[in-house]
Amino acid sequence: MRDSFLKQSLAKALSFAFFLGLLFAVAGLSAAPASAATPAEQFVTDNVQQGLTILNNAQLSKEQRRAQFRDYLLGLTDIKRIAEYTLGQYRRTASPDELAAYGAAFKDYAVTVYQSYFTKYSGQTLQVTGSYPLGSDESVVKTVMIDPKKPNAKPLQVNFRVLSQGGRFYVIDFSVEGVWIREMERSDFTSYLGQNNGNIALLTASLKKKATQIK
Amino acid sequence: MKHINISLYASEGPLCKTGKKWDLRGSRGGAGGFGGRVMRKVGIAVLAALCLSACSTPNRNALDNNDPYEAANRSVFELNQTIDSLTLRPTTERYNNYVPEGVRDGIHNALENLALPVTFANDLMQAEPKRAGQTLGRFMMNSSFGIAGLFDVASRAGIPEHKEDFSQTLAVWGVGEGPYLMLPFLGPSSPRDMVGMGADFALDPTLYIRIKQHIWWIAGREYVTILDRRARNLETLDDIERDSLDFYATSRSLYRQYRAKEIRNGSPRPENPN
Repeated sequence: MRDSFLKQSLAKALSFAFFLGLLFAVAGLSAAPASAATPAEQFVTDNVQQGLTILNNAQLSKEQRRAQFRDYLLGLTDIKRIAEYTLGQYRRTASPDELAAYGAAFKDYAVTVYQSYFTKYSGQTLQVTGSYPLGSDESVVKTVMIDPKKPNAKPLQVNFRVLSQGGRFYVIDFSVEGVWIREMERSDFTSYLGQNNGNIALLTASLKKKATQIK
Repeated sequence: MKHINISLYASEGPLCKTGKKWDLRGSRGGAGGFGGRVMRKVGIAVLAALCLSACSTPNRNALDNNDPYEAANRSVFELNQTIDSLTLRPTTERYNNYVPEGVRDGIHNALENLALPVTFANDLMQAEPKRAGQTLGRFMMNSSFGIAGLFDVASRAGIPEHKEDFSQTLAVWGVGEGPYLMLPFLGPSSPRDMVGMGADFALDPTLYIRIKQHIWWIAGREYVTILDRRARNLETLDDIERDSLDFYATSRSLYRQYRAKEIRNGSPRPENPN
């Protein structure tokens, strides 16, 4: 008798908890209010999908695809700014010649690396979900990559840091799941320089070698 | 060698749950002894880190990166890389090659579901009732309709997933992360993450279910968790290693940024990194 009462109470408690859970879940679903896209958001919407389309274009040969992606990426980003950022404290002591050689090597390296990253998402759709300002001339545009093959999987969060300068926008960094590529490269390169007496020429040579290996 | 496989590269989860090789004090038996043992292990590890700090003089770069034990960390990192290439990587590759993706996804979902009670407890401790509700809702739906968590029906119903651990709770409470630590077998960590691992282990309700041979449940689950995590990151980590000049520094940045994002729950970064 007592046993069955216990069982019933337990069942009741469980079903109550279950509905409570559902209730909370539904409450958690309240969607963010829709608002008009900011210019930076519009810029990302218009341009980033274009890059994925290039990478997804089966008509192009490997070389054509690389060339198109390179043009596209260099038009979209402020690669010189990114390159100098990744040098960290070593930028201040570098000579103009060193900086120029490094900038060229970094450009080649970055195009190759970024292409390999974005090729992974080439079949996916990018959706801008919002943005927030970062200082007076920069903002972060938040997007998700939706895989049509796995519509229910947790979408990958890819954010773009956008700089507004001279009436146009440039991408100066992007992050995947919260990890900013430019920050990661800066850690990598400054650590390398730290171990090699700040020798930027050596870093330049290593980047050139890397870019050839990855291609 | 099995214990190595079990605990390698676990960036979360308690220290050496297998309790075999690292159980310095011996098993006291029963579930109640775990918390104390874990705390003791954390204490020993912190002491070990302090001893290491005494015999190394950090350079400026190491201090800039909040990594005063960089030299020692790098040695441990190398050790971990070697162990990974000998044991975990081959196993992971076989797992990816022979187990169909659908089955791997099911295993991943079930593991995520098992972790939800800990996330729920941490949601509450972080005073996030909405997220706690989402976690509870997910657990209810996936445990029942999702057949013990094998299918993620809650995501289909639109309840987003997230993870919380006690280290994140400590961060929300204002505890700093402390210096970067590379743990043998367990991978990147920090004093705060180590304390968090122990607390999350103690918070896990399955620890208190009295079954025979409980250790096998813990070891088996941990084994599959590590396998799942490594399998899901295999390609990404390979690419990052291929692209980097100093993989140690790159992975340190990766770990820190990822943890920071988890603590912020995806909200904007307060600081301007420039």
